[in-house]
Amino acid sequence: MSEEKKHVTTMADTGRGAAAAAAAWIVPGLGHAILKRWASAAVYFLSVSVLAILGMAMRGNVFPFSSADPFDRLGFFADLGTGAFYFLSKTFEAAGPDVSHAAGVYGTMLIATAGVLNMLFILEAFDIGRKTKP
Amino acid sequence: MLNHFQTLLLFAFIASLSFAFLSKRRMGERLRYTLWAFLAFVLIAIAIGWLMYPFTR
Repeated sequence: MSEEKKHVTTMADTGRGAAAAAAAWIVPGLGHAILKRWASAAVYFLSVSVLAILGMAMRGNVFPFSSADPFDRLGFFADLGTGAFYFLSKTFEAAGPDVSHAAGVYGTMLIATAGVLNMLFILEAFDIGRKTKP
Repeated sequence: MLNHFQTLLLFAFIASLSFAFLSKRRMGERLRYTLWAFLAFVLIAIAIGWLMYPFTR
């Protein structure tokens, strides 16, 4: 009778998971590339970058931390999920946001979606690094 | 730039592809899941649009 060996998560695993998660945040897909999940890395990078860049090209709103409105603050945390794209938003969106047109509203949603999707990718990178997910 | 329906299609495709890679391991499963989820996104969005239509009048 064989018994399944359950992997015990070590501190080294947790460190690797945290490093992969940090990399996945700052550059979408980088965490999975570090973990040698090349297909996932490529797909996650393309997904987040297409949504974020297209959203900024459509002049969507990129929320700042300084806003007092609680919904804007939620939007900030969503946008922050895109990592480097958030900090480079002024480069991609030189003309600034314009939500007076429908395209700007769609763009705002695309940017927030990019951030929230990347949060799922970050969590997966953490789990794979810790070996709690195959 | 993209209109509302084009934005919907793009969002549906990227979300479907992302969830396929998050939940499946084999490429065949991922491709099938992507297609199924994309069709579901689009059909349900159109259905909800029609359900909201009477309230626009």
